[in-house]
Formats: sequence, C-alpha cells, structure tokens
Amino acid sequence: MEKVLLDVRGLKVGFPTMDGQVKASDTVDLRIASRETLALLGETGSGKTVLGMAILRLLQPNTIIEGEIRFLDRDLLTIPEKDMRKMRGKEIAIVLQNSGTSLNPVYTVGTQIAEAISLHQGLKKPAALSRAVELLDAVRIPDPDRMAREYPHQFSGGMRERVLIALALACNPSFLIADEPTKGLDSVTRQQILDLFREINQDRAVLFITHDIDAAAALATRVAVMYAGEFAEIGPAAAVLGHPAHPYTRGLLASLPERGMRAIPGSAPSLITLPEGCRFSPRCTSVSERCTLEHPGLVRVGPGHYARCMLYD
Amino acid sequence: MSGNNLSFYLSFGVVLIYAAFALFAPIIAPFDPFMISGAPLASPDATHLLGTNDLAQDIFSRLIWGTRATLFLGIVGALISVTLGTVIGIVSGYYGGMVDEIIMRFLDVVMTIPFFPLLLVLTIFFRPGIYTSAVLMGILGSIQGVRIIRSQVLSLAVADFVVATKALGARGSYIMARHILPGILPLVGVKFVFSAQHFMLIGIGLGFLGMGDPGVVDWGQMINRASQNGGVILGLWWWLFPPGLAVTFLSLALAWFGYACEDRINPRIQMMRV
Amino acid sequence: MKLTYILRRLLYSAAAFGTSVIITFFLLHLMPGDYITQYLEQIYAIAPPEVVQMYNQAYGLDRPLTEQFFTYFSGVFHGDWGYSLSYSRPVLEVISEKLFWTLVILLPATFLSIIVGIVIGAYSGWKRGSKVDLALLNGMIFLRAIPSYWLALMILLIFSYYLGIFPLGGYVSLSALDTGIDPIDVLNHAALPIFTLFLFSVTGIYYLMRNSILMTVGEDYIVTARAKGLDELTILRKHAMKNAMLPMVTSVALQCAGMITGSIFVETIFSWPGLGMLTFEALKIRDLPLLQGILLMDTLIVIIANIAADLIYPLIDPRVEVGEDVRK
Repeated sequence: MEKVLLDVRGLKVGFPTMDGQVKASDTVDLRIASRETLALLGETGSGKTVLGMAILRLLQPNTIIEGEIRFLDRDLLTIPEKDMRKMRGKEIAIVLQNSGTSLNPVYTVGTQIAEAISLHQGLKKPAALSRAVELLDAVRIPDPDRMAREYPHQFSGGMRERVLIALALACNPSFLIADEPTKGLDSVTRQQILDLFREINQDRAVLFITHDIDAAAALATRVAVMYAGEFAEIGPAAAVLGHPAHPYTRGLLASLPERGMRAIPGSAPSLITLPEGCRFSPRCTSVSERCTLEHPGLVRVGPGHYARCMLYD
Repeated sequence: MSGNNLSFYLSFGVVLIYAAFALFAPIIAPFDPFMISGAPLASPDATHLLGTNDLAQDIFSRLIWGTRATLFLGIVGALISVTLGTVIGIVSGYYGGMVDEIIMRFLDVVMTIPFFPLLLVLTIFFRPGIYTSAVLMGILGSIQGVRIIRSQVLSLAVADFVVATKALGARGSYIMARHILPGILPLVGVKFVFSAQHFMLIGIGLGFLGMGDPGVVDWGQMINRASQNGGVILGLWWWLFPPGLAVTFLSLALAWFGYACEDRINPRIQMMRV
Repeated sequence: MKLTYILRRLLYSAAAFGTSVIITFFLLHLMPGDYITQYLEQIYAIAPPEVVQMYNQAYGLDRPLTEQFFTYFSGVFHGDWGYSLSYSRPVLEVISEKLFWTLVILLPATFLSIIVGIVIGAYSGWKRGSKVDLALLNGMIFLRAIPSYWLALMILLIFSYYLGIFPLGGYVSLSALDTGIDPIDVLNHAALPIFTLFLFSVTGIYYLMRNSILMTVGEDYIVTARAKGLDELTILRKHAMKNAMLPMVTSVALQCAGMITGSIFVETIFSWPGLGMLTFEALKIRDLPLLQGILLMDTLIVIIANIAADLIYPLIDPRVEVGEDVRK
C-alpha cells in the first residue's frame, strides 16, 4: 500500500450569494497516494475546480469551508496563512486554468518562473533564471534560453500551458493539481501535453481535474466522477471507465463522439437549490421512486470501486 | 458611501432646500440684492444678518439670491451637455463605421484643447452672461460624455433584441429612441447629477475670475469681490465665508446624491466620475 | 517602424495644434465688436476713433481677413504669437517667462500627487471595504467636491492669515529687492501653492488607481501569484501595481488639463506670478492676443503630455508596440 499523501474528509465548500448558498462541494471524501494520479471528471459547474482551489486555500475570503484536508499530517484548513504560503508552490502546486490570463502580461516568462524558485529555494535572480530555463527545457519548449526572455502574449496556447506546468514544477512539489490542462487545445497539442504529463506524473501525487475523458483514461490510476458537488462514482480507472456503475458515468461515456455521442437529457442542477434525493434523478434513465426520496451514499460495487446510486443499495 | 437609502434621501433633501431658496428668493431675502441698504462693510447685526459688502448691499440677501444663478448654471449646463452628449454618443455608437470615425477623430482634436481656458476665451468672445456661460459649458462639456455614452451604446447596438428589431425593418431613429435610449438612461441620469455639480462649480469659478454675468448675483463674483476688496486683509469673514460655504455644501450634496444614485443602479460597477 | 510612428504622431499633433490656432484666430477676429475696441473700453469709456485707428493699423486689423490669417498662422510656427496689448511685448515672450514660474509649482505638485495618489489608491483598492479604504474613499470624495478656489482661499486664510506660518502671497518677500532672489524664500512662498495644487490633483489619481487596482484584483494571474506562495504585499507591489498603472498613463492628458485649470485659481489666490495668474490678469484687462497665446500654450502642453504618454506606455506594457493607438 502506498503512503496516503492527501486525505480529504467531509469537505464542504459553499459560496454565499444573494440568492442563497452555492454548495460547490458537499461532504467530499478523497484520498490520494503519493504516486498515484487521480482524475477528477465532471462537467462545468460540477464543483471540480473549486475542490482543487480549496486544497490550496485559494478561494475567496468569504467562502464557507468545513471539514479536513490532511496533507503530511497537517490539516491545511487550520494551519496559519503563513504556513500555507510555504506550502503553496513548494509542496503543493497547481497548474491553473486559462493559460491565456493566468500569466502576468508585463513580466517575462522566465522572470515569473524564477520568482517561485527564488521564493522557496532562496536562489538569487541569475541562478533562479537559469533554473527556469532548465524547467522550460524539461517541458519541451524549444530554444528555452530565448523563450525565457519573451512575454506571455508571444507564446501560443499550447506553449503557455507548458509554461504553467514548468511554473508548477519549479520547486518539485510532491503533490500537483492540474486544472483542465487540455482545455481548448487542438488534438496534436493536446497529445503532446498528455505525453508531458505522463512523464511528470510518475514522480508525484497528481489530482488531474478535467472534463476530457480520454485524457483521464490515458493518465489516471483512479478516476472520480463529480456531479452537482459530490462524487457520483470513484474507483480504479479501468473499472470506472471500462464498466461504469453510475448512470451518469455511463451517460458521460455514451456522449463521447466515438461511442455514439448521445447527450444526457436535461442539464446540471443549480448548486443553490439541489433536487431532493439523488441529485442525478431528474435526468436518470434508470430512475425509481426511491431515488427521488432518499439521498444515496457511496456504495461498494467492486474492489476499491464505489458508486452513489440506489441501483446498488 | 454606506447607508444607501439615507444618503439618497438626505442629499436629495439638501438639494431641494437649495432649490427652495432659489425659487422663493424674492420672499425670503430681506433686501433687494442690488440695493444700497445701510453702511458699507458693516458687521453682521439684526437687520443685516451677514453684514454688508463694499457697495453697502446686504450680503445675506445676496447669498440667497445667488442660489438662482448657481442652480441655473449647474442644471442648464448639465441639461445641454448631457442631451448633446447623449445624442452624439447614440448616433456615433449606433451607426458606427465612417460616421463614428469622423465624429471620434473630430472630438479627439477638440478634446486636446483644454476645456477651461477655451471656455474663458469663448466667454470673452460672446461677452459674459449667464445664459452664455450655461450654453458654452454645456457644449464644451458634452464632448467628454460622448465617449462614455458611446461605449455603452456600442455594446447595446449588438445586443440580440436590437438586432431582432432591425431584422423587423425598424428605422434607425426608432431603434435608437425606443431601444437604445432606455438602456443607457440610468447612466445618463447619473451623469446628469455629476455634470450639474461640475458645471455649477465651473460657473461659480467663472464668476470668481471676473467672467460672471454682471447683472446677476453670483457667489463666485461675491467671493471675488470679497477677496479683492480687503476681505482677507480686514478679516471680513462674514463676507468671504458664506458664499464659499454655500457652494461647497451644495457641491457635496450633489456629489453624495450622485454616488447614491450610482449605487442604486449598479452596486458593483465603479464608473469614472464626470 | 518607429520612424513612421513618430511622423504620424507629429502630424496628428500638428493637426490638433493647427486646429486650435484656427479656432482662436477666428474667435478673435470674428468677435462682435473687435478685440481692440473691447480692450480700449477698459481704459477709455468711449475710445477715440484715432486711437482705435492707430491700434488697428499697428495690429494689422485693417488688412483683409485671409491675409491676417496667413500672417498669424505662419507667425505661430515661427514663434510669433502676436503682441500683447497690456504688456506691449511679444506674447510668446511674456508667456515663456511666466510659464517658468508655473512649472516651479506645477511640477513638484504633479510629482507628489502621482506618488501619493498611486500608493494610497493602490492600498485602498487592494483592501477594498476595509476601514482604511472607506475612510480614504470618503475623504477623497469630500476633498474632490470642494471647489478649488475655495480650497485655496481656505488654505491661504488658515495657514497664512490665521496661523502665520506661510507668507500671504507672491513668490518672494520684499527683501528680495535688496538681496536678490533667495531660493529658500521662494520655496517658502511656493509651499502653500504646491500643497494646494497637490490636494487638488491627488484625488483624481487616487480614484484612477483605486479603480484600476480593483479591476486588476480579479485577474487570473493574481491567483497564480498566490498559488506560488507569495505574500499579499509582494503580490500587490510586483504583480498588481504594474498592471494597474497602465490606465494612469493614458489619462495623463486629462490630468494635465485639470492641472492647468487648477493653476489658474491657485496662482490667482496666492498671487503667484505664473501662467495662471497671467490668465487672470489678461481676462481682467481683456488682452485678447495674450489670452489667445495662453490658450495655444495650454493646448501645446496637453499635446506634449499626450505624446509623452504614448511613448512611455509601450515601455511599461510589453503587449503594445510603439505605434499602436492605445487610447481607443
């Protein structure tokens, strides 16, 4: 058994708004071991990005967070901000979404990567910059020495993604969160990024947040499917993607172009007013009356494989 | 500013009080503001609440009568400026293309010339007068507003409902009046309040520099006369202070009111003032 | 590429300047009752016709309009901006002298207000909603609503008249007649005008900076900076500020026009012999050639400020090439 690096227990994340509280994450339990890649699958609005941000405490100050996020024997939610800052970028790093806007337009790429290195490893600027160039090379950016002196707007989408990855890897974190790294990329670039991740993921724990099922299939050891703020299904990648238990997962797979592209009817519920009982029941084809009355818990459907569905209860 | 509703009504109340003074000046003021009514440079007493100026005119009466000029300059100036700016902004933003280009380029050139010095020269050209000042301020002041209004119009012009109306065959002027105008009305309203404040201050400033209407009682001219004729040296605070305080207070009330209006429209947007 | 940009910019500025020359010329010469008569009315109750005739000839008003225009227009670009009626000297000469003194108070005031405005505006925006922010914001709103002439008057009264800390006006004490101009003395006299101008313009810069920071705060790269583990102050200083300052550069022309206006009032009240006070005097005596020249100078200042801004902006924002129109 590999050592558990991240242990999330009972995590609830809510955003107070004028119309009510947005329950982005409702009592989530999650464990990631030190060398495994967990893919977090879900549609937009399922709460997956929020989960990633919550781990690093990057959410707005008025967010309501409950539960525990245990990392290296410490509960990240209770440690002082000072200590959290020491973790960020060093022990836990995140590759943020929207590479186009996630880099500061007025500084060179090399400077921005060097900043993280100087901060955590105490290197002076020249040393940090040359390390930055090494990192750019490691993420396979051609002519890294020159590119380090360029500005973000001069990079293409795929290259910016690599820069963000290099930035996250700057201090060799033991835990990496990747938020939608393949979003908006063309298929060739996408493949290159996935190859890169295949290499990187070997040495650390990775939470790979994505809506791209094929990416999950390519990289993940385990897959968690998120729906309306909670896990619909979680288990080994082969099991979840190969013989999915939850109707939502099945629907997701069926909607892939190569499997028939049949969309799931209806739309995801608002996270403010959630349906009674099973949250997927309004759209489920195998729905029964029980589904609308009781809220199902995660039920074991195979070794290490769980589904939140009345079908198995 | 905090205390939304309180700010709104309180500031509006103050403005109304000033308006009341302006309206009922002939009744409230004890003396005719141009009449000689006692000894010059007299200290305040029971008859002359604020004493008299160098021409032996009652300062208190002049203060009250001065409200008219102040409000006139502010309101009429703002009316002209906002109307003109809105019309040009809507036309330019809606039609776009060559029309927009020409108008914007022209405005770019005119905007380079500083507003106030130009206003001064034009005031001399047309001879100082209260109507002249209001109109000049209105025309010159409209230029700045055009940009802001135009950008709002630009985003509205491509809104779905506008495109749909166009598809129905509606004429440009119809769309502009019935669909675009209501959309920018809140913006225009807030702009009006801030413009009124701004033009009031500038109008009084003109008076202070001696460019005011000589036939009208004007707080700016009062301050000017006071500081030029020994008000500072002789310490005649009852002559010097009241007009300035009156302007400042009204200006604050209008600004406060403007922000309260803005908060009502959209609590999240922080717009550029004036 | 840079050359064509400079040429284009110069052309555009020349057009703007040329337009103001044209406007001022036609204003002056199409006046109901020409400006000579207006000026003479200040001196004589009814101007004797021979005097009017003499002035007209001297100022070339008896020539055809088009000839006058071309004389004037070409004159402007050669440094001949007309002749002042009240000073009996070339307009440009008078203006240049006074311009120096205006700059003596304008430049320090601008410099101070930019630095202070940026710092407190950034802090205010970054800590939006905090007690400091609300206090500053309300304070600035209050300050901005006070008319500049009133503010100047109050400052003069409080600090000069009642407290006696600073002199009542002018730029040197009477002792200068004997000892020559002492820089410390000038500084003493300049202190209040500079302070007043500073108060006048710091509000605008505060606002701009605060708004700018508010918009920067929500950007994704700020989240990235946090994710790196940087502390809040560093993020503000290094990541937010640089981006937030960009809109400030583009609005410099507006600030400039405001400063020019402010200096008219400040100089008049503090009897500071600069361009602003000159404006006031010229207004009083209806010296229109001089006023025209002042308007041209003011326009020129704004044009130069604009060009400077356009050239500086690309230095700060690497996304913009020199030559792009950033003010669209």
